[in-house]
Amino acid sequence: MGILLTRDTIDNTAHDPARPQELITGGYDFTTLTDKVCGIVERRGAPRAWWVALGFMASLAAMMFGMIGYLIYKGIGIWGVNNPVGWGFAIVNFVFWVGIGHAGTLISAILYLLRQQWRTSINRFAEAMTIFAVVCAGIFPGIHVGRVWVVWWLFPLPNFQAMWPNFRSPLLWDVFAVGTYATVSLLFWYTGMVPDLATLRDRATTKVRRIAYGFFALGWRGSNRHWHRYEKAYLILAGLATPLVLSVHSVVSFDFATSQIPGWHTTIFPPYFVAGAIFSGFAMVMTCLIPAREWYGLKNIVTLYHLETMAKIILATGTMVGYAYATEFFIAWYGGNPAEQFAFVNRAFGPYAWAYWIMVSCNVVSPQLFWFKKIRTSPAALLVVCIFVNIGMWFERFVITVTSLSRDFLPAAWGYYRPTAIDILTFVGSFGLFFTLVLLFMRFLPMIAMAEVKTVMPQKHWEDKVSRPVGDYHGTNPGDR
Amino acid sequence: MSQHARRDVAVLDGDNLVLGGAARRIVAIGLAVGVVGLGSGFLLGRAAGDGMRHFLHAWLLNWLFFLSLSLGALWFVPLQHLTRSTWSAVVRRLAEIVSGTLPLMALLALPVLLNLGDIYVWADPTRVAGDPLLEHKAGWLNPGFFTLRIVFYFAVWILLATIFRRRSLRQDATGDPAITAGSERLGGPALILYGLTQTFAAFDLLMSLDAHWFSTMFGVYWFAGIVASFFAVMTLLTAGLQRSGRLVHAVTLEHYNDYGRAMFAFVFFWAYIAFSQYMLIWYANIPEETGWYLRRQQNGWSAVGYALILCHWLIPFAGLMSRFTKRRVRLMAFWAVWILVMHWVDLFWLIMPELSPGGIPLRLMDAALLVGMGGLYAATLALVAGPRLLVARRDPRLQASLNFENY
Amino acid sequence: MATRETPGLYGYLAEFREPWDLIDAAAKVRDAGYTRWDCHTPFPLHGLDGAMGIRGTRLPWLVLCGGLAGLTLALLMQWWMNAHDYPFLISGKPLFGLPAAVPVTFELTVLLSALTTFFGMWALNLLPQHHHPLFNSERFRRATSDRFFISIEARDPLFRGEGTREFLAGLGADAVEPVED
Repeated sequence: MGILLTRDTIDNTAHDPARPQELITGGYDFTTLTDKVCGIVERRGAPRAWWVALGFMASLAAMMFGMIGYLIYKGIGIWGVNNPVGWGFAIVNFVFWVGIGHAGTLISAILYLLRQQWRTSINRFAEAMTIFAVVCAGIFPGIHVGRVWVVWWLFPLPNFQAMWPNFRSPLLWDVFAVGTYATVSLLFWYTGMVPDLATLRDRATTKVRRIAYGFFALGWRGSNRHWHRYEKAYLILAGLATPLVLSVHSVVSFDFATSQIPGWHTTIFPPYFVAGAIFSGFAMVMTCLIPAREWYGLKNIVTLYHLETMAKIILATGTMVGYAYATEFFIAWYGGNPAEQFAFVNRAFGPYAWAYWIMVSCNVVSPQLFWFKKIRTSPAALLVVCIFVNIGMWFERFVITVTSLSRDFLPAAWGYYRPTAIDILTFVGSFGLFFTLVLLFMRFLPMIAMAEVKTVMPQKHWEDKVSRPVGDYHGTNPGDR
Repeated sequence: MSQHARRDVAVLDGDNLVLGGAARRIVAIGLAVGVVGLGSGFLLGRAAGDGMRHFLHAWLLNWLFFLSLSLGALWFVPLQHLTRSTWSAVVRRLAEIVSGTLPLMALLALPVLLNLGDIYVWADPTRVAGDPLLEHKAGWLNPGFFTLRIVFYFAVWILLATIFRRRSLRQDATGDPAITAGSERLGGPALILYGLTQTFAAFDLLMSLDAHWFSTMFGVYWFAGIVASFFAVMTLLTAGLQRSGRLVHAVTLEHYNDYGRAMFAFVFFWAYIAFSQYMLIWYANIPEETGWYLRRQQNGWSAVGYALILCHWLIPFAGLMSRFTKRRVRLMAFWAVWILVMHWVDLFWLIMPELSPGGIPLRLMDAALLVGMGGLYAATLALVAGPRLLVARRDPRLQASLNFENY
Repeated sequence: MATRETPGLYGYLAEFREPWDLIDAAAKVRDAGYTRWDCHTPFPLHGLDGAMGIRGTRLPWLVLCGGLAGLTLALLMQWWMNAHDYPFLISGKPLFGLPAAVPVTFELTVLLSALTTFFGMWALNLLPQHHHPLFNSERFRRATSDRFFISIEARDPLFRGEGTREFLAGLGADAVEPVED
């Protein structure tokens, strides 16, 4: 990795509690920041490396669609799923991608409500990633249903058989949860982007650009009467997205936890899945962002401080995931149910022990390196650990799904699941789709939420410069009313 | 709209930042209320003629109620350091004082620890014999190991509370910003210790009342209630101190707004956890798990369950939603009391069906013990606060905290 | 009074380089009693709402209605489809049981609230708008990048042509220019 990444010259991770953290370095002002971020999009002709990357990723994506075509032609017999392991790669990949899609909304909504100003540099990127991850996630259950052409039966639409979906099934809850999540994430992302699209429109030098960006900018003119409602809407969307993000992975966990399968049915699943989702999502944000800030020269906007803070969140959520693993083990023993106890011993020492120990070493052990500031502030080390976390979180879903199904109550019905080449190629292809979308996003849309970053730039700290009070106030004491 | 210039730390010079003479009064009154409350509770317990079983359960209930508040503070203080939180700098000292009540809580654990057999099934050898599940768990659930664990939890809690409070008080004297940096580094390990001890305390003290039942989520469930009620206590403490002319300039409506946001969020979080736990058990419908809920749905207990859904979630959720409420101190105080009452009811619903599955056993001694422990708790708060400052006067983030705004 | 002194004039546009100058100036425009005027900034400027005297928006109430509609709709839909129109028993669950209905109800409540927020906000802002006179100004292109503007419309009852121009110039604007309608 050291070959790809250069050393950061500016280290803003030193912290003085008496002063606000310096979030944007390199002496940017409103003008140069706008030039920098828009310049990436406005540049004539993309760099050769971008074309190479796009070509590679797009061909991976094409391979996935080829595999899907073959699947529709032949049926899911070409996959490794068998009896008893009826849920294989498709579910594992679905949960993996949905989990990754949690970081964007966490950054844009929860960190917004918690007034974490550092989020402004990374939220656009993370939100975009969220949407692309949800796109990848949505594909897998869609193609797993077997008869893909009737997948619309999942929705409560009137049909000729006069029948309705079963709302008591957690799989249907998933349809609503993921559908709502995709919609709300898209609205949130787009709402945040409108002022920046207007910037691109106003800077446009060609007619095509002015019309294209102008169309999506909706005639935005920075009016403060508009900003007022816009900010309220943003706050409300953040307030709605916060419980939504909790609910989505909780509902995904219900797919497993409402059943009676040992290792699946446990009450900690909802918060544990949510913590794991945030964990994996942040790792993926880092995996994409560290190279992107390098290649596009954004190190003064996405600074070392941002990376360090994300590393801390990864450490915190990784520890929560470890807590959930430990609780599950303890209660499996404490509950005294032999089937449950067996499920956990089987996870750690059974035929899939290799997957289990990959999971533990990647998810619980590797983030512990983030206790050291040296690692937290080294982009190369961060990238390596985050890739390990991504691998670990995929294996977590594999362990949960496959070990429990392959050996449940009846030893006579045990089996072993082995993915086929088609399983693996489809999964690899989904990365192609994901990164194709990321590359297109980086080329055509503003990667940094300019309007938001400008609110936290040093120049903005005008309070100290105003000699007399303006309309806003600084804290009212209750007695003043 | 009132208009204020940017406020300097110097505004606190004109503020009353100590309890002063009131501390002694509170200690005296609190102690008196405590002795009368606990004494009459004890007499009522003796008069009940059930071998003190109701008394002991009511003791456990009220003790856990106050313990929740102290544990909330113990969670809050390291978290504020870890996240380098600005808004809370002016109120963090109050939380440090609340966490200083943990030694009292350790003392009040004695009646529970000395009478385990009357409270916990697994501590009664006659009931363990022949019960395969209880025999299986005897390695974990036995009076000796259990007592050892409780002692260990309290040792950890008191140690953590003391470390953070001492450091903060030291900063009052020296003003050294390095103390803040050090507390930030301690925050992470402290929260890990807190998480583990609080979870196992929940398993031991509450979940093992029905020693057959288990739920991996249970530690999180108690935690959700702890945090909601902790912010309620902070609201009441702050409002009370401001009413008595203290911290008048220090605490602004912005801080109340944040208390309100936290209560709102954790009322919802509690509902999320409670629903997830219930729904998963309801859906899977396995008898070894449903028994616990079944006991709480029969013989009048279902009314308490419905009351929790309505009053621990829906009503305060709707009530605290608006910014209007969060910026009115009286309304905030109302909702704070409401949430505390409901946390008590929640604990009642967790504990009492194990004593009396046949009906809701409300007795006068429940109230006597609540009032008595409340008196002792208030006295301890005043004792811990003592003559010292109620605001971390030289915290490097104080200036920012005085001026922060909710956009 | 709302006569136009100059036909074809939309109003005057004043440009400011620094955000705090804009806030000071906005407070003066507010105090002068203008009603048809606006500030334009590249990012939401805190303190400007107060300086302009903007009152709270109705949007939260709309969202509340949207959310309640989603809630009701979701419960009714699940009951009607699974317990009424096409009842079928599965895994011993009641035809309509609240615990199993909560997830979908929650999701639809959030979905309708979010859609109301999104569309409600744009509708209240009267956006999207195909064209606006301010876009005639070359200078105004920087309103979305790095400059801060006040616009006073000619339709404002207090609008006085040159008088308004001088008023704006006196607020410390870096430049004041007329904008064609």
